[in-house]
Amino acid sequence: MKNVFETIFFTEILQGLGITLSHMFKKPVTYRYPFEATPIQDRFRGIQYIKTHADGRTKCVGCYLCQKVCPSECIHIETDCGPNGERLIRKYELDLSRCIYCGYCEEVCPVDAIHMGWEWNTVASDRSGYVINMKTLSQNYKDNVEGNWKNKHLKKKLVEGVQQ
Amino acid sequence: MVTVKIDGKEVQVAPNTLILDAAKEAGVSIPTLCHDSRLNPFGACRVCLVEQVGNPKLQAACTTPVTDKMEIVTRSEKLSRVRKTAIELLLINHPLDCPVCDKGGECTLQDLTYEVGVTKVRFDAKPNDTPVDHTNPFIERDIDRCVLCGRCVRVCDEVVNIQAISFLNRGTDTIIGTSFEQPWNCEYCGQCISVCPVGSLNNRIYLFKNRPWNLDRVKSVCGLCSCGCTVDIDYEGNEVFRMKESPEEGINHGYMCAKGRFGFEFINSIKRESEAVVKAGGESKKVSFNEAVEVAVEKLKKVKDTAGADAIAVVVSPRLTNEEAFLAGKLAKDVLGTSNLFSTESNEVYPEATLEEVENSDCVTVLNIDVTESNPILGLAVRHAARKNTAPLAVFYPGYTALRRVSKNFVTGNPDEVRAAMESYAAAVAGASNDYSALAAKLTNAERPVVVFDPYNKADVKIAQDIKKACAKVKIVPAKSKNNSVGIVDMGFGAKCATEFAKGLESGKFKAVIVLGENLSARSVWTKSASKAAGLELLLVTDPFMSETAAMANVYIPVATFAEKSGSFTNLEGRVQSIEKAVDKGVNTDACVVSALAKGLGAQLPADVSAVRGMIEKEVPLYSGINWDGGVVSYPYVFAGEVAATDGKAKGKGKFFLYPASLRLHSGSFTRWSPDLAKVYGEPMLEIGVEDAKELGIKSNDRVKVKGEGFEGEFLVEIEKKVSKGCIALPEDFVATAGIFCNGKSLRADIVK
Ligand code: SF4
Ligand code: SF4
Ligand code: SF4
Ligand code: SF4
Ligand code: SF4
Ligand code: FES
Repeated sequence: MKNVFETIFFTEILQGLGITLSHMFKKPVTYRYPFEATPIQDRFRGIQYIKTHADGRTKCVGCYLCQKVCPSECIHIETDCGPNGERLIRKYELDLSRCIYCGYCEEVCPVDAIHMGWEWNTVASDRSGYVINMKTLSQNYKDNVEGNWKNKHLKKKLVEGVQQ
Repeated sequence: MVTVKIDGKEVQVAPNTLILDAAKEAGVSIPTLCHDSRLNPFGACRVCLVEQVGNPKLQAACTTPVTDKMEIVTRSEKLSRVRKTAIELLLINHPLDCPVCDKGGECTLQDLTYEVGVTKVRFDAKPNDTPVDHTNPFIERDIDRCVLCGRCVRVCDEVVNIQAISFLNRGTDTIIGTSFEQPWNCEYCGQCISVCPVGSLNNRIYLFKNRPWNLDRVKSVCGLCSCGCTVDIDYEGNEVFRMKESPEEGINHGYMCAKGRFGFEFINSIKRESEAVVKAGGESKKVSFNEAVEVAVEKLKKVKDTAGADAIAVVVSPRLTNEEAFLAGKLAKDVLGTSNLFSTESNEVYPEATLEEVENSDCVTVLNIDVTESNPILGLAVRHAARKNTAPLAVFYPGYTALRRVSKNFVTGNPDEVRAAMESYAAAVAGASNDYSALAAKLTNAERPVVVFDPYNKADVKIAQDIKKACAKVKIVPAKSKNNSVGIVDMGFGAKCATEFAKGLESGKFKAVIVLGENLSARSVWTKSASKAAGLELLLVTDPFMSETAAMANVYIPVATFAEKSGSFTNLEGRVQSIEKAVDKGVNTDACVVSALAKGLGAQLPADVSAVRGMIEKEVPLYSGINWDGGVVSYPYVFAGEVAATDGKAKGKGKFFLYPASLRLHSGSFTRWSPDLAKVYGEPMLEIGVEDAKELGIKSNDRVKVKGEGFEGEFLVEIEKKVSKGCIALPEDFVATAGIFCNGKSLRADIVK
């Protein structure tokens, strides 16, 4: 009996139209990328940064652990003995075109130097900028701390997470 | 034999075997930290504690000998707890700076911490924080990381016998250091680095350059002196990062010397040449390998056609492999048709005793050679005999050497007195009665006597022969100098006297000379005539570096060092050992050069090691059926014939006796390209005794002139208390000193300020 009623009065269609109608008054859930950015979550793993001490020296001690652990072999380190017998990092290179953003380097770092940042846009028209060095990685830290995002959509609130 | 049960496994071992060794026999591994099988049991770390059934006390496996029917448990709940605590206690003051410590990745303490599973700190951790010591040019000392296992102290005492370092202070203040915290100067052998289980003593040449897990490794043989140490060459890509001992392996038992351990850097040197150079009409031009060979071939053909094959000479360096020397011989004899094969070596005397026989000897005599400097591992063997076997050791040398500590009979004086003493000693061995009869009796009464001497000093060879003749059981050790000094003689480069080459150059007999790896200017026999070589129709020189001789060449071809080729060396015992190619620096080997020359001349010579070995086995009877990995060549005799008597007396006039000093930290002219060795010892130093220096009013590092009959030179002064009064010494094998010692091995000279 109920079925006959429903068939005669198209109630299901109306229900459907009702849902459609209600969505017309809701906020959209999609983003108009690239004109609009998707939000980045706290635990997002983006382009790495390497922390520096207050005086600007890098926190990295050149232990080679990230190089060893990296599954895509994108980190290249060269160290030497400095003039005062200290451990000196001659070269630290990270190839973003190979990185799979697994975060192992962050995990393994014994001195809390390398971290996964929130910056993620690596789109470029040539490959030359993909190999980043210690200078860029330290600058990335600064940018992450100060919130100088290249991608303007990154929210200021994430900065707090960096500083912890 | 006693029976012991270890973890339920029964084994039969000799009485007095340590529990640790018995366990190894049973296939049970016990963790250790302070133990080293080459050193006396010590028992400092307590990591190796095991349970003995029926004994409430735990036993240290590395110090306790087994008894019959002993039952040992190596794994139990209690032992895990004990071992863990032992490690935890070691970690209380440990800085735990593995990320910056050079030992990270190959550290016993790190491994043990993982093994016993220490994850938390139970105690109040107070990491040490003392500044790192850099007084030693080759060794970094960070006492904070030290676990006081005493291995460095023990190896320096028991094996090296220098006692440079020891435990200082008492109790919790104990550290490893030099007495009274003096600057750390020693033999720089680096044995202490090799035994340190943690990162307390580190190799400064390798310091922070890489990590062990990045390095590839080949086992090879050191290419510097004639001891023929088995070494590990650690490399990444085409760079050698370190040359280190193969733990407890080889005839060197895992010991090495400063040259081998710290001197390998010349392999990576930026001063190495990469392109061939051809000089024509006063102009030098960089050319390709093939072009250089073509030019050489043209000139060889021309000389052969115009002046005959006898105007061609081939000189090889004792740095070449057996295979290369053999090929060079083939090229000379079969392709060029000349019999002018030269080297600094002679076939007068062959090896007899092995290093093992020296170690186990019950009486050792060292004739006029500073063996611990010239052949460090042979030096260790002599020390082993004298120290561990308490064999009587007689040393004759015109100044005290490091052997003084283990020798009760050290005969010094000026070179003439020492020579007279050696002659009387030889006479006493032959039965004469003189001052040395008692000493000689020790030799003649011994069962396994050994005589070590310098085969490059004719007068000494004569004395050694006299001793051997009088006492046939004496085994002789001619302490040859370079890595393949013995091998090139076996390959035919020792039959002609080196002076003949000098004469040929002087007289203009030779028109074309092929020099493979040798530096004529730095060899005393050739230095005077070396300049003549510059005007030859062809002077082809191969060398990894632009040596003085290479600079004179009209065809120069850069070649590989021992780390860049395969082949074999024959060491001072006559032991043939294979070397392995580790890196490639983009230059050819001497074998390639010879084979290319042969091809240009219309003959076929293989450059490939196994093919050449096949030819050697066929054509060199001594090497037929030889084991290329450690086989000892059995020479039919030790002295080729009666050695002519030479007047060994000091030549010339002057106040001082001048003799060749041991080559400190160097092995000929080659290691001078090692920046680190050169930093410590870069130019020839004139050694003079304290008294004489005072009398003349000269100080260390002054520059003085040495003048004698037919030579003169200016040198830096080093005041050495071991040099006898009235004597001065200069190292041989430097271009500046080769011109002096071409006048003789024992000279008289004056010092002019
Ligand atoms: S995120 Fe992963 S792939 Fe990228 S550098 Fe780190 S370890 Fe390598
Ligand atoms: S793991 Fe950390 S300290 Fe070690 S090299 Fe990488 S970034 Fe530097
Ligand atoms: S380098 Fe050799 S001589 Fe010097 S302290 Fe170490 S073991 Fe002793
Ligand atoms: S320096 Fe090394 S070898 Fe010497 S006692 Fe300390 S830990 Fe042992
Ligand atoms: S130079 Fe001689 S003693 Fe030193 S490591 Fe090499 S072969 Fe051994
Ligand atoms: S290894 Fe036995 S006490 Fe150290």
